[in-house]
Amino acid sequence: MDAINVDINHLKKGEVSLGTSIMAVTFKDGVILGADSRTTTGTYIANRVTDKLTQIQDKIWCCRSGSAADTQAVADIVKYHLQMYKANNNGKSPSTKIAASIFQELCYNNKDNLSAGIICAGYDEKNGGEVYTIPLGGSLHQHEYAISGSGSVFIYGYCKKNYKPNMTKDETVNFIKTSLSQAIKWDGSSGGVIRMIVLTKSGIERLLFLPDEYVNA
Amino acid sequence: MTSIGTGYDLSNSIFSPDGRNFQVEYASKAVENAGTSLGIRTKDGIVLATEKIITSKLLVPNKNKRIQTIDRHVGVVYSGLIPDGRHFVNRGRDEAESFRSLYKEPIGIPGLLDRLGYYVQAYTCYNSVRPFGINAIVGGIDDDGPHLYMVEPSGVYWGYYAAAAGKGRQTAKAELEKLDLTTISTRDAVKEAARIIYLAHEDNKDKEFELELTWISKEETNGLHKFVPKDLLEEAIKYAEEEGDDDGSSDSSSDEEMDD
Amino acid sequence: MNHNPFHWGRPSDSTYGPYNQQIAHASNVNPMARQQQQSDFPTMHTQRPMMTGTSVLAIKYQDGIVIAADNMGSYGSLMKLDNVERLLKVGQDTIVGISGDLSDLQAIQRILNDLEIDESYDAGDDEDALAAGLKANHVHEYLTRIMYNRRSKMDPLWNACIVAGFDDEGKSFLKYVDLLGVAFASPTLATGFGAHLAIPLLRQRVDSEADVKKLTKADAIQLIKDCMKVLFYRDARSLDKYSMAVLSESDQKVEFHKDVKVEDMKWAFAKGIKGYGMPQL
Repeated sequence: MDAINVDINHLKKGEVSLGTSIMAVTFKDGVILGADSRTTTGTYIANRVTDKLTQIQDKIWCCRSGSAADTQAVADIVKYHLQMYKANNNGKSPSTKIAASIFQELCYNNKDNLSAGIICAGYDEKNGGEVYTIPLGGSLHQHEYAISGSGSVFIYGYCKKNYKPNMTKDETVNFIKTSLSQAIKWDGSSGGVIRMIVLTKSGIERLLFLPDEYVNA
Repeated sequence: MTSIGTGYDLSNSIFSPDGRNFQVEYASKAVENAGTSLGIRTKDGIVLATEKIITSKLLVPNKNKRIQTIDRHVGVVYSGLIPDGRHFVNRGRDEAESFRSLYKEPIGIPGLLDRLGYYVQAYTCYNSVRPFGINAIVGGIDDDGPHLYMVEPSGVYWGYYAAAAGKGRQTAKAELEKLDLTTISTRDAVKEAARIIYLAHEDNKDKEFELELTWISKEETNGLHKFVPKDLLEEAIKYAEEEGDDDGSSDSSSDEEMDD
Repeated sequence: MNHNPFHWGRPSDSTYGPYNQQIAHASNVNPMARQQQQSDFPTMHTQRPMMTGTSVLAIKYQDGIVIAADNMGSYGSLMKLDNVERLLKVGQDTIVGISGDLSDLQAIQRILNDLEIDESYDAGDDEDALAAGLKANHVHEYLTRIMYNRRSKMDPLWNACIVAGFDDEGKSFLKYVDLLGVAFASPTLATGFGAHLAIPLLRQRVDSEADVKKLTKADAIQLIKDCMKVLFYRDARSLDKYSMAVLSESDQKVEFHKDVKVEDMKWAFAKGIKGYGMPQL
């Protein structure tokens, strides 16, 4: 109990944060995750080509927002739990819901020490593409599409009006590209390139859009 | 089991020179003399049945249930020492709850059996404990459909189309093998289970018994483990008694062959 | 008397000097923080709700209870979700309406789900055994214990709940419990903004148990609908889409209505409102 006590609050204050624009959208063949690439400490851009899309299982990925350290730690722990699940269940891959539930459990039980807003999305043959969000308090919600991070507040209306169920892959990529380009435009904490991960039956595909490719999207 | 332990049967943690664990074998003896239990896996569900021996006329009829629920979608029936069975079931409930608390979904049946098999096995390794005196038949439905398992005192567990334990197990197994278990409906299996329990009771004729029947089915119970409704239970008992009368006259000779 | 509960039961500082925290390493507050803050308040957990749900309303009528809660999940002033179900069904015929933090709402949902499974173990073969076993008064008492226990750990579940259902005798049961573990019954109940806006309207019709007998089912439903409308007019964290459950004592049944919309709103009078005092075009 009486170990060296360090007041981490001043460290927390200057923490590297993913002031972010992230989203995940289900479509006809699966799900696509998208994110900007800016990481800031205050107003300084610590990394302008960050990859905020993290693999948890083959076809279960998450978008991270909030503290970079916290979300990386949480993602690593979830990854461990899913490996354990697979090992304990005769190699059966965990569902997206299970992954999201573990995120939820960790974020809820440690809510005082974490600032982590997570979108967990995945594809499996049985349930197709699925999207779950775990916002700050550690609750769990399922959606057809989800947006999160500081930049998302600027595109709530745009996304609500322009999302359609069962879009094609191209339609979905364009929807994400336009949505995120607007979020990046209006949010100072979002910027850089747009990264996407496409999860479908046929596999995992990475997409990258540089600023001059999306500014007029 | 003709050989006697000659000292090697006094502790769990000691093998006999010919590589046997006598305590486990004696535990199986406790099962062999108990009322018959059986489980059937149908194309969309599970049926569990037991021949509940009535030890006193002062017991209230149809109470003191023997078949128990581990989780909404998992049922257990066991033959052997009843308190051991109750402890086994409690462990199952704890495992199901701990799985649910982490993964937020019901535990899969094979996963549950992995955990329970491990637990039962642990009771064969230490001299401070004795093995479980039960054969537990565990059935349930998960995402992959119905599963039926039987766990033995050694901790070994196998998946079955149908399983039987207790005194009338030979009779029951012979009857179960005659059924077409790949196509049978759960409703039909309920009636067959009743018939087989009645037939197996021939091995235990001198004792009063009560039939207990539960089922799990996507169609009939929405995937939940439930006691079969009264009307179906009565129908099944009627069927069992009618079929029993036929059997009594036609193949009484084959019955005797099965007894061991 | 010293009204700070954290000083109760301690030797007074004026007689014995301040308590030395080093003794037995009694404090779990880190030393640097202790220098800054005077009090040795225990480490605290959930101290502010993040995602929240607003009011829950409920009223007793002559043959049961009507209870309603909207479907909004707020994050500050942002409507983050418009599809949250805040009326939970527990057992056969109990409805628990929950306002406040949504992550804690889901925790309560898990706790009650575990309770339901526990109760079903011994339900036996009686078709209605579960219904007979877990009644609204049991759910409420259990919830009260959970809420009080958590607040006593300085780690409250940040919610206010209304439990509606039937008790052991099949009588209508309506009771409240909140994050402090405070519990009480009333023929009209509301949490959050509803306690300010809806309670006066509900009490116009049902002021005491005696008035319950006079209120018909149709009137009760209409009254709740009107209150949800007023809340949508005046609660900035409310939504015009809500869930409503109607419980009737005579057949011990619960009707659950989802996606009910606020109806018959009046906005047209805005046409006559011009400027803010002086006549203008």
